[in-house]
Amino acid sequence: MPASRTLQISRRALLRGSGVLLGLPWLEATALGNRRTVPRPSPVRMAALYMPNGAYPATWTPTAAGRDFDLTPSLEPLADIRQQVTVLSNLWNEQAKDGDGHYVKESSILTCARIKKTQGADLRNGMSFDQIAAAARGHLTPLPSLELGVTPVAVGNDAVVGYTRVYGSHISWSTPTTPLARELNPRAVYERLFRAARGSSASEAGLDSLLLDRVLQDAKRLRKRLGSSDRNRLDEYLSSVRSLEERVQWSARTERSNWEPLTSLYLRDAPTERPSSHLEHVRLMLDMIAVAFQSDTTRVATFMFGNAVSNISFRFLDGVTSGHHDVSHHANEEQKLAEYKIINRWHVEQYAYLLRRLAAMPEGEGTVLDNSMVVFASALSDGQKHDPHKLPVLLGGKGGGHIDSGQHLIYGEDHPLANLYLALLQAFGAPAERFADSTGPLSGLLVS
Amino acid sequence: MFASQPIRTAAWLGLLAAACSPSARAQGAYDFPAARSFLDGHCQTCHSGSSPAGGFRTDPLHGVASFATHADAWISLAARVSNHEMPPTGVPSPPLDDRTAFVAWVERTWRSQACAAELPPTQSPIRRLNRDEYSATVRDLFDIQIDVSEMFPVDGAGGEGFDNAAETLFLSPLLAEKYLAAAKFVLDVAAKEFKSRTKIFVARPGPAMTETNASREILAKFLPIAFRQPVGSETVASYVRLTRRARRHGADFESSIFFALRSVLVSPAFLFHVRADAAAPASRQYALASRLSYFLWGSQPDELLLDIAAAGRMDDPAVLDRLVPRMLRDDRALEFFSRFSEQWLRIRDLEGSHGPDPKLFPEYADDAELRGDILLQPVFFFREVFRENRSVLEFLDSDGTVLTQPLITHLGLPLKKKQDAKNPNWMELPEGSRRGGLLGMPSISALTSHPHRTSPVLRGVWILDSILGTPPPAPPPDAPQLDESSEGKPVGSIRERLLAHSNSPGCASCHQRIDPLGFALENYDVLGRWRDQDAETPVDATGKLPDGTRLDGPDSLKAALLERKQLFLRNLAKRLLGYALGRGLTPSDTCAVETVVTEVERQDYSAWTLLREIVRSEPFLHTAFPRRRQE
Repeated sequence: MPASRTLQISRRALLRGSGVLLGLPWLEATALGNRRTVPRPSPVRMAALYMPNGAYPATWTPTAAGRDFDLTPSLEPLADIRQQVTVLSNLWNEQAKDGDGHYVKESSILTCARIKKTQGADLRNGMSFDQIAAAARGHLTPLPSLELGVTPVAVGNDAVVGYTRVYGSHISWSTPTTPLARELNPRAVYERLFRAARGSSASEAGLDSLLLDRVLQDAKRLRKRLGSSDRNRLDEYLSSVRSLEERVQWSARTERSNWEPLTSLYLRDAPTERPSSHLEHVRLMLDMIAVAFQSDTTRVATFMFGNAVSNISFRFLDGVTSGHHDVSHHANEEQKLAEYKIINRWHVEQYAYLLRRLAAMPEGEGTVLDNSMVVFASALSDGQKHDPHKLPVLLGGKGGGHIDSGQHLIYGEDHPLANLYLALLQAFGAPAERFADSTGPLSGLLVS
Repeated sequence: MFASQPIRTAAWLGLLAAACSPSARAQGAYDFPAARSFLDGHCQTCHSGSSPAGGFRTDPLHGVASFATHADAWISLAARVSNHEMPPTGVPSPPLDDRTAFVAWVERTWRSQACAAELPPTQSPIRRLNRDEYSATVRDLFDIQIDVSEMFPVDGAGGEGFDNAAETLFLSPLLAEKYLAAAKFVLDVAAKEFKSRTKIFVARPGPAMTETNASREILAKFLPIAFRQPVGSETVASYVRLTRRARRHGADFESSIFFALRSVLVSPAFLFHVRADAAAPASRQYALASRLSYFLWGSQPDELLLDIAAAGRMDDPAVLDRLVPRMLRDDRALEFFSRFSEQWLRIRDLEGSHGPDPKLFPEYADDAELRGDILLQPVFFFREVFRENRSVLEFLDSDGTVLTQPLITHLGLPLKKKQDAKNPNWMELPEGSRRGGLLGMPSISALTSHPHRTSPVLRGVWILDSILGTPPPAPPPDAPQLDESSEGKPVGSIRERLLAHSNSPGCASCHQRIDPLGFALENYDVLGRWRDQDAETPVDATGKLPDGTRLDGPDSLKAALLERKQLFLRNLAKRLLGYALGRGLTPSDTCAVETVVTEVERQDYSAWTLLREIVRSEPFLHTAFPRRRQE
């Protein structure tokens, strides 16, 4: 083989991770009709947005409690929708207080579990609250949940702290040992929403379930020959294929026959798969959450602004000279602190963008935001100190009237974050009495 | 509880890593009596007598020979001491230096005793193809030149740091969906390709052949290749039935075949690596054929490998010796060269937003050709070493390197390519070029820098981790970014600021190990170009390692690394073995690693010897029959 061809092939390999265009076999651009006949109560939706590297407390936390809380510099972007926002202070995740500075905290932000220190062999976290919600009510929508991000899984082990980077790249866990892969390509998300909402024709569905049925037989045969540890991995495969099979057959099932998209999706609206900047990429992914919620294709979504220890360069912002993690170790230097605050605020701006999008989507008597609960959280407070106390946590939306929004709630020192998730699960309609180390639903949050 | 359980975690094998200052004094003087007195002083009270704490007794640990008889006990004990889990809180804790010295001694001693211990081999867990393996496999299976890896989410890495590690290759509903979509896509492409169609349609229905028989012939040929092992007639029949059911759904003959093939591509027999099956002893041969081909080709075994497996000779050392060079010279080995070297050296970190800042370094950001050459140089260097059976020490320093004309220009070398200016070839370097080995490459300089400036700390840590396999421990949770900070006082050069920090007691022991390595490379800028001045200041590339070795510039650093060549070789051997096995290493792999190291040292560090020893090693050849636990 001439060297030039070799070079070409490996150059192709180098494009890995840069979103190489693939001509996907295309579905006809049929719109999904909005054939709604029976009115139904608006569903409650739930999302969690995760920001890496913490926030600077002095410019984050309002001083005043209650409805007249002061908007700090970091929270200013929420000014016009503050009635929809709840600021939660003094929450923490006790399970993340030891271990290293990042992975234990960031990987357990939605699970409130203590992760096992490992390079991979015996990975263990907890089940995240979004997945508990999806398990309880995911059968009511074409997709049980949506996991989104903008940066690929961080590869390798962090040899320095002894954790596999897999931990820091996943916040949604369907079981304590199964982190859920995230979709990074906005176009692929849109197409997935479209396909899921459209369902398949009877003959397509028939063939697909024939195929998956065959595959499940193979898997069961293989399973008989495996030892117990290997069975766990194969069971992951089996449950993945089964959930796919269920989805394929969705049109035939009773819950699904009651489902209609609340708004139509059109393939021509699919966004680019190569966003030109970090800002555009983030916004497109947030748009996908908005579209998914609006159409009711799913009611559960999580999004990661970056992986744990993310060092995404924020030099595109005026006044920032470095990467996110570098800046978060500000050492109380004036210049670095200023940069850290700019980056904090930028994330809140994006959060506000999503809330505004949802608020602009009318639904019933109100808006989609009125029927949503959108958490924004980081797993550290001051990035400089890897501080697990006083986590920056915001909640947006009224959860279908369940959430008493528009206030700053200050809890006692080190109040369990799990209590927030328990309250949200209850508002969402998932029957939960406990979550992780919860002691009861967060007080003052739910409308009594 | 300790002694009876096999140790699953390999973390302790890197314990020395977690110990920053095993001072020369501690290393030299430490011996069994010292270790025993550590045990007597800190463990004996609880862990002795008739009802020892946790059922664990330290009394049988007398003499170095007890490593062979009580390996598990020594290993778990050292792991718990290293993790600060023992002695438990509430009991007086040994000083850090004692802990460190004890753990380092256990690790050293274990290496020398590992073979005598005869630990049972570790069973490799089942694992699915990762996205690169999937892509390469369908490419070879259908003879189509497409890359579908981008259709799947990026696989995380575990084990020895690679994305083929069984432990971290999860399955999720999203992935199942992607498998279904990718299978459709791949077969749509194959249906239009003449070469693929010829491979698939080895029979056609006609006057002398029923449809069912044609389907059977096609599938009987295809399935063993796709599943990478012989397939029983019952399995073939079940896929033939599938084609018939597709026909009843209205598919024509061809579509019914493609439908069955789609099912093949989603089957666990295709998606998971071949396992040896106790019920079919011959299957071990096919498991080995797959292990070897996914190691060196990242793809399915070819007909020759399957023939060797059929002949029962996959574990014949003479056969393996001949196979290794043959496979390395095949084009498919590029998968191994690139995937292994990119992950070992962490070149993939340069992709995306972590590379040199485009505003400060437009010459990198705007020149796709130069950027490609910079990223490819280490991959092609790696290929050269392994294809041409060079010494693996050339990674540390070499008289030549892989160059293209843009690279030559970028580095300002007094060389000229006569032909093939754009192709990367091995070229001899002029005297004093300082471009030999990995450290002379711009990619390495860039990936160990911040986007906007060089970082002696990042470079030092990279050398300790990627080259020597002795990464430093995590900085304490409240440590500031050392090379950035000046405690509020904007003073001096990076060197001055670093020195100030390295003098603080919490930071000193590690930074004395890290920083001098990085400072020795300060003459390389972010893009690896030589500089004598950094802004206005002359570059100071001097330093002193904890053992007293004085450094001044890259040549002295390379010489110092060559002094530590056994560390480098062991690190490379461990990573290659972990990559080959697709899992993290465990204490029962230590004997194999030490055997490989000894043999490669004996054979002048030959790259082929290294790979041959790995594929002949016990862990590689051990594809145990999965044993069902008593239920």
